[in-house]
Amino acid sequence: MTNLTQTRNDEIESYLAGLDGALRGVRREERDEILREIRTHILDSLPDNPQTGVDAVLRRLGAPERLAEQYQTEFLLTQASHSFSPWLLLSSAWRWAHTGLRGFAVFMVAMVGYVTAAGFLISALLKPFMPNEVGLWVGRGTFGFGDLGHRAGVHEVLGSWYIPVTMFLAFGAAVGTTHALRWLIRTRKRPAQ
Amino acid sequence: MAANGNGERGQHWEAQLRKGCLEMAILSSLWMGRLYGLEILRCLADKSNLEVAEGTVYPILARLRAEGLLQAEWVEAEAGHPRKYYWLTGPGRRRAQEMAEAWSNFSASLTILVEPVLKGNKS
Repeated sequence: MTNLTQTRNDEIESYLAGLDGALRGVRREERDEILREIRTHILDSLPDNPQTGVDAVLRRLGAPERLAEQYQTEFLLTQASHSFSPWLLLSSAWRWAHTGLRGFAVFMVAMVGYVTAAGFLISALLKPFMPNEVGLWVGRGTFGFGDLGHRAGVHEVLGSWYIPVTMFLAFGAAVGTTHALRWLIRTRKRPAQ
Repeated sequence: MAANGNGERGQHWEAQLRKGCLEMAILSSLWMGRLYGLEILRCLADKSNLEVAEGTVYPILARLRAEGLLQAEWVEAEAGHPRKYYWLTGPGRRRAQEMAEAWSNFSASLTILVEPVLKGNKS
């Protein structure tokens, strides 16, 4: 009986250790709360004959990785829908991208939006150091921001306005992407369960 | 083969339907008072025949709590271990009512539509 109880406890601890490991990314405090609740659930669910019951209880809960994934998706997306942090929004979109095509499309929107914002910002910062290379270049079928200088028939049009214009565009792209992501996450279909 | 395909599609549709109702079912199960996770699962199984994967309910409870629709508290039991009890907040009660009303209207209108189908099956 002692051996059976020990085996049962080992199985439970092994499951919870797997869940703990798979919940990386969730705050320690929340993770402990989850583990405590799942442990309570397992102990409460054990039928009168515990030595045969623990396998069935753990099976009904699902693999620890799968359970952790559901928690992470729910937590991250809920936090992200109330957040203005590009990092949290981007990491949430990345996690969502693993669950289906819609999530992947949202992640691509996030990437394109934030990379565009970062590009404008970097080019604004480079302008004072590379005034003749960085600019808005126009001419001979060319229209583009950044380092396109020194091409025949192409000239820069913004001059000293380049920095405020690109800073404004960077801000606009970042804010627009953030609001679009928050809206997409808030109006998402619930993740597959 | 076709019948088998229809059967699988039917099961998939039913699973999606159950999944879509889960949030409303969880909120409704807490309408009468506080319950802990396993009691919610048993309530769903007993009162609605809504048997769901147990691992599904806890992440949803965590989200509903994060959204402010539920509150939770660990309560010491007289015998055994403490359990985490959930109850509806004010916004949670309002959400449950809105969902119940929407569901009731929706199912009533669909019932009228499917009535001839059900009668056809019986004849």
